[in-house]
Amino acid sequence: MDIKIPDSWLRDYLKTSANSAKIAECLSLSGPSVEKIEKKGKDAIYSIEVTTNRVDSVGVFGIAREAAAILPRFGISASLSSVKTKSRQEFAKEVDYLETKVDHKLCPRFTAILIRDIKIGPSPVFIQERLKAIGSRPINNVVDISNYLMYELGQPLHTFDYNKIRGAKMILRESKRGEKLTTLDGKTHILPGGDIVIEDGDGRLIDLAGIMGGKNSEVDENTKNVLLFVQNYNPVNIRRDVMTLAKRTDAATLFEKGLDPELVEVTMRRGIDLFVQICKGKPESKILDLYPNPYSSKTVRLTEKFVEDRLGVPIAKNDISKILDSLGLKTQWNGEDLSVSIPSWRARDINLPEDILEEVARLYGYHNMPSKIMNGEIPEPLENSPFEFEIKVKRTLQGWGGTEVYTSSLVSKEQVASDWSLKLKNPLGSDSEYLRLSLAPSLIDAASKNKREEDPMHLFEMSKVYLPIRGNLPEEKMMLAGVFANQSFEDTKGVIEALLESLGIEATFAQEDSRWFLPHHRLVVKSGKLELGQFGVLKKEGLIYYEFGVEDVRSVSKPLTTYIPTPKYPSQVEDISLVLKSRTLLGEIIKSMETADQQISSVRLVDTFEDTKTLRVTYQSLSKTLTDKEVEKIRKKVLDRMKKKFGARLKN
Amino acid sequence: MENRIQNLKNQALAQIIDADIEELEGLRTNYLGRRGELNKILREIQDLPAKKRPIIGQIVNDAKKAIERAIDEKHGKLQEGTGKTKWFDPTVPGNKPQIGHLHLVTQAVEEISKTFEKIGFVRVRYPEVEWDWFAFESLNMPKDHPARDEWETFFVGTPPHSKYGQMVLTPHTSSGQIREMTRVKNPPIRMLNIAKTYRRQSDVAHIPMFHQFEGLVVDKEISVVHLKGTLDYFARSFFGPKRKIRLRPFHFQFTEPSFEFDISCDICQGRGCKLCKAGWLELGGAGMVHPQVLKNGGIDPKHYTGFAFGAGLERSFMMKSGLKIDDVRTLYSSDLRFLRQF
Repeated sequence: MDIKIPDSWLRDYLKTSANSAKIAECLSLSGPSVEKIEKKGKDAIYSIEVTTNRVDSVGVFGIAREAAAILPRFGISASLSSVKTKSRQEFAKEVDYLETKVDHKLCPRFTAILIRDIKIGPSPVFIQERLKAIGSRPINNVVDISNYLMYELGQPLHTFDYNKIRGAKMILRESKRGEKLTTLDGKTHILPGGDIVIEDGDGRLIDLAGIMGGKNSEVDENTKNVLLFVQNYNPVNIRRDVMTLAKRTDAATLFEKGLDPELVEVTMRRGIDLFVQICKGKPESKILDLYPNPYSSKTVRLTEKFVEDRLGVPIAKNDISKILDSLGLKTQWNGEDLSVSIPSWRARDINLPEDILEEVARLYGYHNMPSKIMNGEIPEPLENSPFEFEIKVKRTLQGWGGTEVYTSSLVSKEQVASDWSLKLKNPLGSDSEYLRLSLAPSLIDAASKNKREEDPMHLFEMSKVYLPIRGNLPEEKMMLAGVFANQSFEDTKGVIEALLESLGIEATFAQEDSRWFLPHHRLVVKSGKLELGQFGVLKKEGLIYYEFGVEDVRSVSKPLTTYIPTPKYPSQVEDISLVLKSRTLLGEIIKSMETADQQISSVRLVDTFEDTKTLRVTYQSLSKTLTDKEVEKIRKKVLDRMKKKFGARLKN
Repeated sequence: MENRIQNLKNQALAQIIDADIEELEGLRTNYLGRRGELNKILREIQDLPAKKRPIIGQIVNDAKKAIERAIDEKHGKLQEGTGKTKWFDPTVPGNKPQIGHLHLVTQAVEEISKTFEKIGFVRVRYPEVEWDWFAFESLNMPKDHPARDEWETFFVGTPPHSKYGQMVLTPHTSSGQIREMTRVKNPPIRMLNIAKTYRRQSDVAHIPMFHQFEGLVVDKEISVVHLKGTLDYFARSFFGPKRKIRLRPFHFQFTEPSFEFDISCDICQGRGCKLCKAGWLELGGAGMVHPQVLKNGGIDPKHYTGFAFGAGLERSFMMKSGLKIDDVRTLYSSDLRFLRQF
């Protein structure tokens, strides 16, 4: 929660010689974080982030209480002034001006007082100034008093026009589904049920308790008598209201965190004071106070050793006491054992010895603690860790000119193109409604964003796709995919071949059509029977696309290939030009040539002219230097095979 | 002696001008050879006063270089005349291979992994689509807890799991904590979890999909000073030896005590400037693992303690490099004009 506190207001409760910059620095190091200080005239305004567990610090007094404990740790004297009140009304379980029926599960403490004959008008300048300084608009004295006290003490208040509460009766209860209520801002809500509401003697709903008052009981310019109302609500109900009605007010934000029921008392007295002083109101002599289960202090126990073990530094017993006492926590040592009794305003956030530890640690100062790297055993490495392999693949592609992209896992309906996919319940927009099943649409998108590129382009990504499994989390499959543009089929296929080769994979490419690719333009890449991925030319914009299952590729990758002795005898190399019949697959030709004789070690395409392909054949024997005659015999074997199988003939 | 050297040099240069290709090699031996004129002088240096030796040595070396260059140049000219070498323009631009680029996120992942691997952290990977239990409930954030508001979570529209609740996109890498405890079972744990994370937000400073890195250490006798030490180590090795870390008290449901950690601003060297908060830049959250979280992960909090920290990867990397990318969405735009810069 981000709050604003004027320095001048803070000093109503904090007596210290420290300037605002010093206060901000010390608070940040040991308490709530001061995000910035703005100068406003002679005053300075702190912007402070209070964590959700410390609703007791939300407000001027709460911050002063923290500062008064923290500043002395930095050698700066500081003290807290208590909230002074003049009102001496009696807290009573019954009053004659209001009949009530309260569900205490919803409202652990209910207080109210009737104040008569108030004069409505603008509030005094200093109240208006302070409200403006923290970004709240002054309205009139009645409204301003409520807001002022809420920002000062962190306890919301509400005022009803007493004369609009029919029958001078209030029933505080859970709402029923479908009940209607119009709030102060003029909005009508159809309640989902389970909200905290107040019904008057005529059965009208007059308050959406803890969130906003009802329009029908609003204080207006003709109001004479007000009912000042200070409550403590069950945070769970308020939280649910906020979520289901999507209505968030400052009061609700406080109530949903769970407030201190003891805070009600001082707020009520201070409220009465201000109504007397500013609105010239005449309060009744009794305050209605329904508080069936008053706070009784709880105790948390820990030991000196616990503090030392968890912090890693010893802190003297009396220093621990001093720190805790300064925060209003009462300490009692019994040898090594410490019991800490928790004041009402910290009852919600302090439950465990670890919570006490945090209080000691932050006031002792993290900046005063040493830094150490843990000794102890180093954990076992992760079995079958994929990370080295993944970066190797990325670096290999990068080395050959690939540029890595990261695209969003969240895609549109068109981009998943399947009903068997995961859809978000609360997407940001229709372009990011689904978890993707393939990287292809994102990469095609990426390529088209770079259409102006004229140079060879290769974009790739390694990311997960999310394949649904009924009744379980999806399979998160790591994929490698890429697109090429402005490059030939051969050049790009070469990149894929080289990648697989450098990973020690013997892969085969088989032509198989599928709907996204141009006919005849798709190859399925396999290692043995395992399908690793695919490569080919897409129908869309003629982009060349490939994708692989990274884990499949990794499973057949051999990081160390076995050693093959280098041949001792020279090889013979010659170029053979073959004239092929049209529609002959060159891949088949080469495969067939290579397997025609054991002494052919490689066949490589070196030139193409129409149907004539020039192939560079390497003859190699492991046991001797081949003679011309022997080479001739092998060549004949190859050429015969070419003729028989493919009808290919030697050129001239 | 200076004069002698000077004369020798002038003589050599004059002879080079008129030499043909064979004579040139003769001159090279004569002046620069092991037993050549200049080396002769070098041998005589020993007889000079110690102070003078380096001066003369330097003059001899300069003369050697001048003669050598003159011979090489003459050689080149003579060769050109014979037609053995043609005129050649070496200033022609090279044919560069295509230069590839790894994305900034990958670069950051690699650097951060390496940094933590050096102190024994083990990198892991856990689901990005998770059950509510791992993302929230097991981390001490029951349903409807206001603390959950900080994580603007995406929910997946599949029926909830009877035990683990709704399916969510992980809003933080902390969802890996319980997974890691369950995997390792018996500490020590030093986990590094780097993953995609998702939050319902989109503006110049926020993207719905981003990355976080998370450390988790569980062992006997782990204390706050170890958390501080680890973050200090990270700051110095990742950001540079002069950078410092500070811990500020904070609150998370799954750690106690909890902190936010800041790194000293390198632009103003910690004095305070427009970009930072009084000399500090906020980096991430951290804390001592809450005993209930250890219990939820099957680890006995009586015997073991631990700490955890997490931070945004993109933000950390930008702070390291001083890159000021005014709109983080650019990172995920696939624009080559951007990607090629890294």
